[in-house]
Amino acid sequence: MTKESPISHNGTEPAEAPDVAVQRQATYARLFWRFVWLTILCSLVPLLLVGWGINLHYTRFARERMLNFFQNQVEDHRRIIAQFLNEHTSKLQLIARTHDRDQLIEPGALQTVFELFNQDVRSLTDLSVIGDHGYHLAYVGSYDLWSRNYSKEFWFTQVMEKGLYISDMFMGFRKEPHFIIAVTHSNGDKKWILRATIHTESFRSLVENVRIGGTGEVYLLNTESVYQTNPRSNAAIMDTSSYPMEPYHEGIRIRLLENLKNAQGLDRPSQIACQAWLKNPRWLLVVQQDHDEAFADVNHANTWTLVFLLLSAASILVVTVFITRHMITVIKRRDTEADRLNQQLLQAGKLASIGELSAGVAHEINNPLAIILTERQLLLDAAKHAPIADSEFQEQFSDSMNQIDLQVQRCKRITQNLLRFSRRTQSMIETVDLNAFIQEVVDLLEREARSSGIKFFSEPDPGLPPVSSDPSQLQQVFLNLITNAIDAHDGKPYGSIRICTRADGERQTAIVKVADSGSGITPENLNRIFDPFFTTKAVGKGTGLGLSICFSIVKRLGGSLTVQSEVGKGTEFTIQLPYTPPKELQDSLSAKRTPITAA
Amino acid sequence: MPGFRVLLVDDEIIFTKNMSKLLKNRGYTVTAVNSGDEAIRELEQNPVDVIVLDLKMPGMDGITTLKEIMKLGLFTETLILTGHGSIDSALEAMKLGAYDYLTKPCEIDELVAKIEAAWAKKTGNL
Repeated sequence: MTKESPISHNGTEPAEAPDVAVQRQATYARLFWRFVWLTILCSLVPLLLVGWGINLHYTRFARERMLNFFQNQVEDHRRIIAQFLNEHTSKLQLIARTHDRDQLIEPGALQTVFELFNQDVRSLTDLSVIGDHGYHLAYVGSYDLWSRNYSKEFWFTQVMEKGLYISDMFMGFRKEPHFIIAVTHSNGDKKWILRATIHTESFRSLVENVRIGGTGEVYLLNTESVYQTNPRSNAAIMDTSSYPMEPYHEGIRIRLLENLKNAQGLDRPSQIACQAWLKNPRWLLVVQQDHDEAFADVNHANTWTLVFLLLSAASILVVTVFITRHMITVIKRRDTEADRLNQQLLQAGKLASIGELSAGVAHEINNPLAIILTERQLLLDAAKHAPIADSEFQEQFSDSMNQIDLQVQRCKRITQNLLRFSRRTQSMIETVDLNAFIQEVVDLLEREARSSGIKFFSEPDPGLPPVSSDPSQLQQVFLNLITNAIDAHDGKPYGSIRICTRADGERQTAIVKVADSGSGITPENLNRIFDPFFTTKAVGKGTGLGLSICFSIVKRLGGSLTVQSEVGKGTEFTIQLPYTPPKELQDSLSAKRTPITAA
Repeated sequence: MPGFRVLLVDDEIIFTKNMSKLLKNRGYTVTAVNSGDEAIRELEQNPVDVIVLDLKMPGMDGITTLKEIMKLGLFTETLILTGHGSIDSALEAMKLGAYDYLTKPCEIDELVAKIEAAWAKKTGNL
């Protein structure tokens, strides 16, 4: 079994000098990385830009949505609280204006008003009428406050001055957090106060029941940062908050709070806070949530966007490398094919040039040979008419004449081969049964082969159809190849030659393989075996034209001749011959067959 | 049947000289010329039986010479002697009416045999 060499169509490998091969490998490597970078640039950059753009847009959208939510929360609660306070203030003012003090302090009157206030929802803890001396004139409520004098209390002074006062949360005489709304009215010179204590739980529920995520909270602070409602974090109503207070401002503000401490002095995570001031009382409504939780959706989306981008980039990278490798392989294959075709063209061109040269040389040599031959004949004629007396000279003369004839005939064979090589012979296209035809050639050479210990093994393809070709030229091809196969066993006591045929219906081509178990051909010789005058045989044993002629003939008949060889194992020649000869050959034969009439 | 006239036409002077001697040694009447023009002129004055004509000659080449010979309408046969480089031309010459062709270098006996055959054909046609 011969090892297949990458032999080209014309039988010669596109052998590259090592530095050329290295350069080409470097070019492929450069090409590979250029493709990879270009593809990455053209695919990853847009992907990253689009990903980044979408992510940016989404982040902005989600952030705005979250901030809008916070703003809405603040706005809604501010409105609700303000509405609650305004409603109660208005009711108290209405009662104070529409009722005489004495009417209200009549037994049961204030109780009626109190019950009307708490008719639907309990909104007041107690209700009292207080005189300008600071004592109760009437009281409805559950606390024991009747004997208390409020004239020294902060709220008393305020309401007497302003006519309306809403207090912050304070402990007061009842010692629990509460706040009051107080209004004053005068009946003549008698100024009195209608004071309502807001039901703390009802008020706080307006704020504290709101739940925003796991860390969100809504609370109220007074101007001294004291909680007016219970926050969710570790603090209670009336505690002082660490919230960084700002002066009064209109509208809603959003703040990012960092480096906050809780009631235990521990660090709190960054907070997003939305704040708005109530006008009366000056309470700050705060909606607050951990920043990370508030923007968890955004962070989540960012994380998944990053994962998606990384996966996409990795996929693109892998696919790019895979496709580029495949492309480089295809390019390499194409380059090899192109090299092969170039080599074929080069070989064909070389053979054509040598063919032209050979024809000229052969013709020019034949004339002097013809003269030498005639001179020899003249000498022989002269010797016949004047015999040489000296027998030794006679013998020498005769030997010389024979040697001249021998050498002239040798030169003649060379020139004949040259002329065959240059295709100066006439083709005759006939139908040829290749299987039978090859067997005839084998029969011719089998005796010689057998004497050298070589056996023939034929594997004809019975399905091989007859081909239209030139039998005389094909005979020369097969004779040359089989003779070479026999000669390849020189020095071996035995060997084998396997000849097989095969039909390639798809390409309408007959394939003939001639494989020997001879000494094989070295790679350097393999590149030159189709070159004219190249021979490894001893001087005088081969002209070096046999394979050139074979190549030339097969090519002319539209086929190809290739070779595979491994030193020490053998050589296999493959002929691919079309079922019909090429059109140009048929045309040229048709032209030659046209009778030419003498003018 | 030696004795008939042969015209040798070849640009190789030594070849025609040697071949003339050889053919004369074998009993033929030989005239040697070294160009197509000379051959036509010679034939116009002294017709021959067989012409041995080289194809590749300077000036008028063998094919043209043959065409001119055919125009003369002589009772003669022409053998083509070619240096192998122009087999196609030799075949063309045969189509033009040449009897046969020989390739150089050729043995004198081979040439004589062809001349005899040409003579036989000529006489056989009578």
